[in-house]
Amino acid sequence: MLRAIAALAVLPALAGLARAGGLDPAQTQAVVKELDDRQRNSGDYKAMVFLERKEKDKNDLVYQLVIYRRDQDDKLMMLFLKPKAEAGRGYLRIDKNLFMYDPTTGKWDRRTERERIGGTDSRRQDYDESRLAEEYAPTYVAEEALGQFKVHHIRLDAKKEADVAFPVMHVWVDQATGNLLKSQEHAQSGKLMRTSYYPKWERMFSKSKGADIYFPREMRIFDEVEKGNRTTIVIEKVDLNPLEANIFTKAWLEARSR
Amino acid sequence: MGLYLTIALRNLLQARRRTALLVSALAGVTMLLVLLMALSHGLTETMIRSATAVTSGHVNVAGFSKNKATDAWPVLHGVAALREQVAGLVPEAESLVVRDRAWAKVVSDRSSMYVSPTGVDIREEARLREAIVLAKEREYKKDGRDGVVGDLARLAEPRTAVVFAGQAKRLAVEVGDVLTVTAPTGAGRTNTVDVTVVAIAKDFGYLSSWVIFLPRQDVKDLYQYGDDTGSVIQIYLRDPAQSEIVMGRLREDLLGAGHELMDHEPNPFFFKFERVAGEDWTGQKLDLTVWSDEVSFLKWIVTALDALSFVLVGILMVIIAVGITNSMWIAVRERTREVGTVRAIGMRRRQVLTLFLVEALLLGLMGTLLGGALGAGLAVGLDAAHIHIETEAVQIVLLSDVLNLSVTPGQVLWSMAVFTLLTALSALGPAVRAARMQPVTAIHHAG
Repeated sequence: MLRAIAALAVLPALAGLARAGGLDPAQTQAVVKELDDRQRNSGDYKAMVFLERKEKDKNDLVYQLVIYRRDQDDKLMMLFLKPKAEAGRGYLRIDKNLFMYDPTTGKWDRRTERERIGGTDSRRQDYDESRLAEEYAPTYVAEEALGQFKVHHIRLDAKKEADVAFPVMHVWVDQATGNLLKSQEHAQSGKLMRTSYYPKWERMFSKSKGADIYFPREMRIFDEVEKGNRTTIVIEKVDLNPLEANIFTKAWLEARSR
Repeated sequence: MGLYLTIALRNLLQARRRTALLVSALAGVTMLLVLLMALSHGLTETMIRSATAVTSGHVNVAGFSKNKATDAWPVLHGVAALREQVAGLVPEAESLVVRDRAWAKVVSDRSSMYVSPTGVDIREEARLREAIVLAKEREYKKDGRDGVVGDLARLAEPRTAVVFAGQAKRLAVEVGDVLTVTAPTGAGRTNTVDVTVVAIAKDFGYLSSWVIFLPRQDVKDLYQYGDDTGSVIQIYLRDPAQSEIVMGRLREDLLGAGHELMDHEPNPFFFKFERVAGEDWTGQKLDLTVWSDEVSFLKWIVTALDALSFVLVGILMVIIAVGITNSMWIAVRERTREVGTVRAIGMRRRQVLTLFLVEALLLGLMGTLLGGALGAGLAVGLDAAHIHIETEAVQIVLLSDVLNLSVTPGQVLWSMAVFTLLTALSALGPAVRAARMQPVTAIHHAG
């Protein structure tokens, strides 16, 4: 509860500074840290996710999957439910290793952190806990307007040891609410790879955290290299109740497809 | 023997129609066998030519580097010194080249595909320059010009690429267009290089569907590798038949020189990522292969063609054998009284047997000689005609956009020997029966 109160106290202060024309490095760091903290849940997390992939010259694809997270132990699991051809397929992250299970062959494959989930433009980190402050060093770029919203534009450079897909990110954070509204990811060469929009945010009370947590109801990811390809992630039915203790195992995921 | 041959020839000429039919049938199957063997041999030759131009040397010194146990990067550090060492250890080498291997997505304005961008120094790649034939613009572009656009030598310039005609069609690019190549760096971070297409080459079948060429430095930039790195040292031998022997000796020599080597696995490098990532070691290990290992995934094409030939020719052999046996039975029956007479005037059983076998051998020789000559002539003619294959699926299987047949004297002689022997064996039963006849019974045979 104290953290929630602190967060509420920080936001107007940040908004005030923004009005004064930008943030200093410490305040910029605080905005990024707040982005992570608002989404962080100390307990378990389960959500129903709809994933829509649109690619030029290809049929649209829609997946339904369930995401299970135990942020305390950095555990993540995804289980595909629909379409039927994909049902039972899953991803499991154990000790910084991402594995994919294919129920048609019954085999597990180790995948990179850069795996495009279901062949879409979404990556593992789109579903995982936000760790921007931990993985990136922020630099304030400018105070900007994003439509009707006044935003902080912050550049994030990956820390040397961080295991991230994109070495440079730009984020646009709503000054009024502290919500992430837009992000852009760049390659090492500086080329813009994708732009993501976060038009809807929701909050719910987490018993384990003792405060509200925020999550994007919808993410729209546009491929900037292959123009015309886009992915939409819709998160529904978020459940913060404790999950079964032994759920994050290969055996559990395999059993779902039997 | 001259007498046997004269009698056998006269008998064959006496039954002209039957002889003509059997000779035609034997010639047909011999010709078919020669053609199928020429196709299989042509395919193997194309595979060697394609593999050693596009993806492999006759012997390859490649390897993997791992900073942590779960890594699997197809890169060798200290490649300049290693190249010098390898050159000294393989005096049979005609030339050596160093290449960089990668696996990346290439994106054009219209489409994208995953390929293996191969970093080459085009100035030292004499074989590649010889093997690559640039495609006419109309081969990859609708309403394109009937001439070649682009220049392979420009691959020496930075941020350039050479793609194949099939890829150009799929990506909807032409010479001068820009492609974005994207892959994770050695540290696992997304990176890109933008390259300009400077030439578009004729397809090499399946191999050219997933390989594009970039300057070596572009691949290093993509992966953020250091200067003294490379993925593979490709060794070209004066005698490619020595590949296995040279690889075996080089393994021992490199081990003796203190290098760590991976166990030999006869597969291309991209089959080994999962295995290497699962092995518990860090550092660098060399991986030696020969050209056939690098195209092991294509062996099924030759195996399938050989199996199909075997089944097809096997069925035809059975039919021919039944036909010849039947004809010889008829011949024996027709000439029973004749056999009785020659037996009565002193011809021995073995001589009668030889007489019928010589007749069958002569028949077989006539048929297979005709078939072998026709088959060889047709194979040479079809190969010289450079028949263009339009269907992409067939191009992929045949590894070329033209029909390649390669016939050798050994193949023709082998085909002739097989069918001549088959003819003789088929005649053995009737010949033995003729030889066993009692002269009295045979003379009194009603015919």
